[in-house]
Amino acid sequence: MRRFLLALCLAVLGGWPGIAAARVDIVATTTDLAAIARAVGGGDVVAVSLTSGAADPHFAAAKPSMIRRVFDADLLLSVGAELEVGWLPAVLQAARNPRVLPGRSGHLDLSTAVVLRDARTGPVSRAMGHVHAAGNPHYWLDPRNGRLIAAAIAARLERLDPNNAAGYRSRLAAFTADLDQRIPVWRDKLAPLAGRPVIAYHESLVYLASAFGFEIVDEVEPLPGVAPTAAHLSGLVATIRDRGVRLLIMEPYYERRSAAFLEDKTGVRPVIIPQSVGALPDVKTYPGLFDAIVAAFAEAGNLR
Amino acid sequence: MVAGPFRRAALGAVVASVLLPASAGADELGDLKQALETAKQQMKEMEAVHRRQIEALEGRVRAVERRSNAAANAATTQPPAQASKDQHGSYSIGGLDLDLGVTADLAAGGSSVPNSILSQLQAADHDPNKNGFRLKSLEWIASGTVDPYFDAQATLALQIDAEGETKLELEEAFATTRGLPYGLQAKAGMYFTEFGRANTQHSHEWAFVDQSFVATRLLGPDGLRSPGARLSWLTPLPFFSEITVGVQNSDGETVFGFLSEENEELLIPAGGGEEEEEEEGGDKRQIRNLGDLLYSARWLNGFDLSDTVSMNIGVSGAIGPNDTDANADTFLLGSDIYIKWQPVSNERGFPFVSLQAEGILREFEFRGEDGDEDLEDYGFYTQALWGFKPGWVAGLRFGYADANDQDLFNGPFRDERMRLSPNITWYPSENSLIRLQYNRDWFDFDEDAGGDEDTADTIWVQFVWSLGAHAAHGF
Repeated sequence: MRRFLLALCLAVLGGWPGIAAARVDIVATTTDLAAIARAVGGGDVVAVSLTSGAADPHFAAAKPSMIRRVFDADLLLSVGAELEVGWLPAVLQAARNPRVLPGRSGHLDLSTAVVLRDARTGPVSRAMGHVHAAGNPHYWLDPRNGRLIAAAIAARLERLDPNNAAGYRSRLAAFTADLDQRIPVWRDKLAPLAGRPVIAYHESLVYLASAFGFEIVDEVEPLPGVAPTAAHLSGLVATIRDRGVRLLIMEPYYERRSAAFLEDKTGVRPVIIPQSVGALPDVKTYPGLFDAIVAAFAEAGNLR
Repeated sequence: MVAGPFRRAALGAVVASVLLPASAGADELGDLKQALETAKQQMKEMEAVHRRQIEALEGRVRAVERRSNAAANAATTQPPAQASKDQHGSYSIGGLDLDLGVTADLAAGGSSVPNSILSQLQAADHDPNKNGFRLKSLEWIASGTVDPYFDAQATLALQIDAEGETKLELEEAFATTRGLPYGLQAKAGMYFTEFGRANTQHSHEWAFVDQSFVATRLLGPDGLRSPGARLSWLTPLPFFSEITVGVQNSDGETVFGFLSEENEELLIPAGGGEEEEEEEGGDKRQIRNLGDLLYSARWLNGFDLSDTVSMNIGVSGAIGPNDTDANADTFLLGSDIYIKWQPVSNERGFPFVSLQAEGILREFEFRGEDGDEDLEDYGFYTQALWGFKPGWVAGLRFGYADANDQDLFNGPFRDERMRLSPNITWYPSENSLIRLQYNRDWFDFDEDAGGDEDTADTIWVQFVWSLGAHAAHGF
């Protein structure tokens, strides 16, 4: 009993902000941001993700454990552009950690560090499906944006933890140099895709298309976030035949029936794109994510 | 725009690789290699400088874009609500921090029993309660951040009651703090008491057409809510553990079992003969001092049992006065559990299975002319939901409630009751649902009153739609 009480006391002290906080406690909404924060923060930070890389970040549930993590955080990294709008506000409200509220130095919305595609300037209606008015939030899938994300995180860490600024700067330089070296290699490997028409499942792979120069001509979803209908699928069969589409790219968490139907009708090959760090068990770093994406394309065979 | 430096680096490498074989000597080769390394290094540094410049410029471009967008928006006559919105919700009206939402909750159904009995079986304020159609509620929610210190929310509900009259009620209007230290959060205003799981939910959030009759009987037809204030503390325990302590007014329509006037109608109906006495006296018990307020407390704990299973477990208590005597009190005790399974890789949140159970006990100190009685009412419900494919949820709920001293006070709020409710719900999107539910009721109050009904079979159809913002989903 006494041992239990002691353990409880230690746990309480350990959880109390300030006492055990030598390293910057980073909580990211996605595994990609957590991985980049780890690369830039090294041993000066502890970075965890609220969601799993195998999950669709639109539809995370605001679990009690998330609230507990955000309560302790020094820095919250979010993808922003309304990606987490379904659950993050509830977590932030319950977590009552003023340091990480929007507008404070402990809250970094990375959508402000990149240029978003498809920002809507005209009227937006729910009749258009699940549209993000601020722009498409899947920007981490362009490796060039990885450099901007890393630079923004490093800058924020320098501000929050000036004593370790030199470390953040040098790790940022190393991370950037590594990406710079790999990007041309990935581009080479995906060169056969350049200019090719491709079908995507959801409007989430536009940044990948822009990074590697292929064209997404239509989506399996008739409207973003709306389940495919028979009529839309038969329309897609025609599009695939007319445009000579060879590949259908999709995240692992979507249903496969529609893809199987389209493959059966047209021979289009489904390519399951690991969309985030952790989407496959061995994808543990941000550069590793693009290695895995390139490998997924390679598995699909001849890209032309 | 960031491709420039790559191209230069690639060009440099190509030029160097062409030049290298042409120069023969080993020393020369070493020198050249070193020169190449230096050049590469310089190139990288230059690139870093360029990148910083580009980023700075991008920042300025964005700032200019934002300003010109704002100017353009101001110049055109675009409806302001189109500025920003999303599936779940944020309407930013003219840049104001204000989320607005309207939710309509319509039900229709038919029962084997007449309206007179059906309305007693379905006694909650937002239950469908008669054969035919009913607009259960039309809820208007405004919420947002007041300033760096407070968030606020106000909810108004319109409904068409069983008599066909339109009724407007203030459901909630409260503010919560944003920046208290040590995991503290205060809330003040009119709000649903944080007692158990069901009590804080608005009618359209229920996973069933109706409120569980157990909650209706023990926490009141309109939920337990009242003006007041509460402080909640997220403890530093290594798991989610929250303690909430509150104080609220104990009088009004929505504090059933305390100083509510509905007590006499529903809980201690005439027959005991005592309240005639009280009416002669003419003075109802009022809030005179701090001891006459309604106090409540809740301890809620949350755990992840695995990557796919999470759970909440809570206990709640409340104490406040009732008006049978100057010193008579009412106590409420409740416990609740919620477990949800959801695979990590899910499609729009499906599939999932959730189990929820809640038990509530009320002790009502009845102090009458003929003697004192402690009226005990108790009940529990348990419900399971299975989201078996995207957009589709099957549900099953069972409720049971009973009370002591039924020879003294009886009726639809005190008899032994059971209800089994299977249902199925289709969510065309996050913003609408269509639900079909069957209720099987077992009850005694009609026979006790000389009637001959002791079971009821009822079919309900429900349609809910919501415009504008709705709050992010809690667990």
